[in-house]
Amino acid sequence: MTDPTPHHDGAATAGARPAEVEIRDLTVVYRTEHGDLPAVSHASLDLRAGEITGLVGESGSGKSTLALSLLNAVPAPGRITTGSVEVAGVGDVTRLTGRRLRRTRGSALGYVFQASQNSLNPLKTVGKQLLDLGRSHEVEDLRGLVRRAGDLCERMGLDADRVLDSYQHELSGGMRQRIGIVLALVLNAEVLVLDEPTTALDMISQAAVLDIVRSVHRENGLATLVVTHDMGVVSEIADRLAVMYGGRIVEHGPAGELLRRPSHPYTRALIGATARIVGDPGLARALPGQPPDLTTLARRGCVFRDRCPLAMPVCEESDPALSEWTPGRFRACHAEPAPADRAAAVPAPRTQDDPIGGRP
Amino acid sequence: MTVTFPSAPALPRRSRTLRVLTRRPGRVVGLGIIVLFALMAAFGPLLYPGTIAVDPEAVYAPPSAEHWLGTDFAGSDVLQEVVVGARYVLLTAAVAALAAAAVGTLVGLVAGFRRGLADSGLMRLTDFVLTLPGLPLLIVLSTLWSFHSAFQMGLVLGATGWGGVARAVRAQTLSLRERGFLEAARGLGLSQRHILLRELLPNIAPYVAMNLLLSVIGFIGAEVALFFLGVVPFSSENWGVMLNQAVFSGGVMSSPEALTYLLAPLACILLITLGIVLFMDAVDELFNPRLRERS
Amino acid sequence: MKGFLLRLAAKLAAGLTMVFTVATFTFFLVHALPGNPGDAAYEGYVLGGMPPELARAKVAVVYGFTSHEPLVDQYLGYLGQLLHGNLGVSISYSGVPVTDVIRAAVPWTVLPVLSGLLLSFLVGCTAGVVAAVRRNSRSGGLLSLSGSLMAGVPSFVLALLLAFLFHTLWNVLPYGDTSDVTIAPGFTAEYLGSVATHAVLPVATYALLGYGSWLLTMKSSVASVLGDDFILAAELRGIAPATRMRYIGRNAVLPLFTTLALSVGHMFAGSVLIEDVFDYPGLGNLLLKSIGNRDYPLMGGAFLLITVTIVVANILAELLYSVIDPRVRR
Repeated sequence: MTDPTPHHDGAATAGARPAEVEIRDLTVVYRTEHGDLPAVSHASLDLRAGEITGLVGESGSGKSTLALSLLNAVPAPGRITTGSVEVAGVGDVTRLTGRRLRRTRGSALGYVFQASQNSLNPLKTVGKQLLDLGRSHEVEDLRGLVRRAGDLCERMGLDADRVLDSYQHELSGGMRQRIGIVLALVLNAEVLVLDEPTTALDMISQAAVLDIVRSVHRENGLATLVVTHDMGVVSEIADRLAVMYGGRIVEHGPAGELLRRPSHPYTRALIGATARIVGDPGLARALPGQPPDLTTLARRGCVFRDRCPLAMPVCEESDPALSEWTPGRFRACHAEPAPADRAAAVPAPRTQDDPIGGRP
Repeated sequence: MTVTFPSAPALPRRSRTLRVLTRRPGRVVGLGIIVLFALMAAFGPLLYPGTIAVDPEAVYAPPSAEHWLGTDFAGSDVLQEVVVGARYVLLTAAVAALAAAAVGTLVGLVAGFRRGLADSGLMRLTDFVLTLPGLPLLIVLSTLWSFHSAFQMGLVLGATGWGGVARAVRAQTLSLRERGFLEAARGLGLSQRHILLRELLPNIAPYVAMNLLLSVIGFIGAEVALFFLGVVPFSSENWGVMLNQAVFSGGVMSSPEALTYLLAPLACILLITLGIVLFMDAVDELFNPRLRERS
Repeated sequence: MKGFLLRLAAKLAAGLTMVFTVATFTFFLVHALPGNPGDAAYEGYVLGGMPPELARAKVAVVYGFTSHEPLVDQYLGYLGQLLHGNLGVSISYSGVPVTDVIRAAVPWTVLPVLSGLLLSFLVGCTAGVVAAVRRNSRSGGLLSLSGSLMAGVPSFVLALLLAFLFHTLWNVLPYGDTSDVTIAPGFTAEYLGSVATHAVLPVATYALLGYGSWLLTMKSSVASVLGDDFILAAELRGIAPATRMRYIGRNAVLPLFTTLALSVGHMFAGSVLIEDVFDYPGLGNLLLKSIGNRDYPLMGGAFLLITVTIVVANILAELLYSVIDPRVRR
């Protein structure tokens, strides 16, 4: 890859601040009987304070693996082979081990599990687990910790005293999700990673959780990464968007623009497939073929070419690099972007101001 | 987590079985032990036709070229007794294991398939059988009933030992049900009989087979124990009788001269246990793909 | 709480049914024995020159029923006696009530079984955690193999091997009876020491018997908890390893309490063999001796009491489970 670094975009991004997290050329492989299979290939991405980044892709696209790499927590048999994850004030997380790595998780980086997963010990009350968290990070002022947790609870509309005295089985999915956020932020993490925050929640809880994510994000000035397969979710809260396919980031840019004028054929297909749910069935086009898994992934050339309507001979030969094709926007595709797109690529309005989520 | 692990490509069944079996040397050894004892049970008595020879000149003789494992209190060859005794022990255990597997599978299948009242009734019964003090019951029963044939004894043992299989089969049936398996079969308009025998049974068979193999160990133990305790008439030559005579008549616990007479049947039981346990490892991997993925 | 009481009640009902069934079974078993032992005893007394009325009265005292009454009356009379805690009179311990004979034997079974169980539970569970955590390494594999083997070895084989090795061959541990017969029972160091050394082999046998199944169950339980989301969540929150191990341990050990009752049952049932090998005067030994002596009242009583012990263990396990799991408690 020639220049996979999409971070010299400077002024192109609204309100640019120094990146809280810089992911550079990150590759994660799973070691199997059939050799090392890449789950994430040469991914680069910045997370900035005050920005919500959406990471979208189908299951198996490597988005969860990428999210776990932020905490250097890729489950065996996977491991990070190349690249770095620089976190402000911590350093390269991929080089941390043992105690320092553990202390970074939870205190600098908060990770929130998807709501359908049980992220709490079923045999202990939430309060006791909060104290375990405090002791693990050698917090001196445990009372202060409880007070802060209670404060966060109240801000998310939870009855703090009741919740801290409850066991997991006494809480609803939405409440568990909010407690997950409390535990991720109670040690003042600056980076918040949410894995499928709305999956398995009903519509009302989904809306409530997204509201909470947005307000917590804003109040604490976090750098937030939302991992999801749901275009609706990202269109509602993300400022920037990264689209993953077959372990590659194939498109990356400001959320509103990217949703309005997707440039990579896969992004277009993804948005097209979502339209089916949103309303207009005429717009809905299911993507032909199956998403690749690690074994069926193309070893050479573009990973998307088998399902791509624009596939050309060159796609068989070389893997397109992620490059900036217009200020602030990145794509990995051999096909020329449509001239109209290039012309229209002017600074987009923030998606938060756009109630229908910036969809055309 | 949405990390998908690659699944191993499907290999032809036979070559996969062979590969799993030979992956660890212990598994082959286990199979070898099982085959050895099966052969011993089948052909052992043919090796030594007639009654066991008694040699009053050589009582409690140490191992020698003539008597590889020495002789017992009456001067009989210990090796010969062990080989001849294998048939009764293994036949009884096999009958018991088969009977227990049959009853347990039937009860578990019906309970898991029908659910509701039939399920709770059958599971009460299963719990009852499981909590029943098995060995004391057999001992008390032996006052009334003398187990004459290996077949009869096997049936009685099996009748007290099917609880575990029933539970395992029921759990398995329920999990198949949860996976939408039954709804799919019903949706195809298949008859209940067909669903039970053609759809459920083949899926449960591996678990039954594993249970069957493991239960053989337990039944060998129970049966030899009854002879060892002396509550069952010594109607045949077998390992339990040998143990009983070694300990209670031979006084092996105070004088080590009858050592091989005690150790030979013990070693046989331990060897069979080891063989089955080692072989189970392979069976487990064949039928339990989850384990394969982890290792 | 209501669900818990309901389950407890169900266990209690199942236990009472069990005791009742076993009592009925032994009653009819004794009656079905060739040459009804009651009749045989009566004839024996008469032949021995005893007046018929006296002989009949004696049979009534010994067996709890008179063999000349209709069967139903005998059965009801037997049950009535049972409710009063009267199990008849032992024949081999001439004239001593069965309850007294059993009462003397109960501690010698219960104490070794419980200490063996506790020991095997602690060691087995710890080894199970190690086997699960190291399940892909050689040491973990060997540990698992040891568990499978110990779970498979018949109890008397183990007992005989231990007795042979530690007594006959190396002569480091005594066995036979509960203490050295030359030492007078009392609260003396000498007597207690003798009791302790005599208990080592039976307790070790019980412990080794349980070890394997605890190891295997704990191993699979830990393996499944390790895959649970909350363990990964705790890791991603930077929870200290020791705390994480506590989370894993407590969650993994929980399902084991359901098998605890079954395990106690197996051990009590197995006491027949172990007490026979070590000539230890507990319940199992009593049961076996009573059969040898054709002492049917004692046989029935011992069998019934083994059953009762198992039922009680079942109920205790249920209570223990509810103390440890908040999902049942609230």
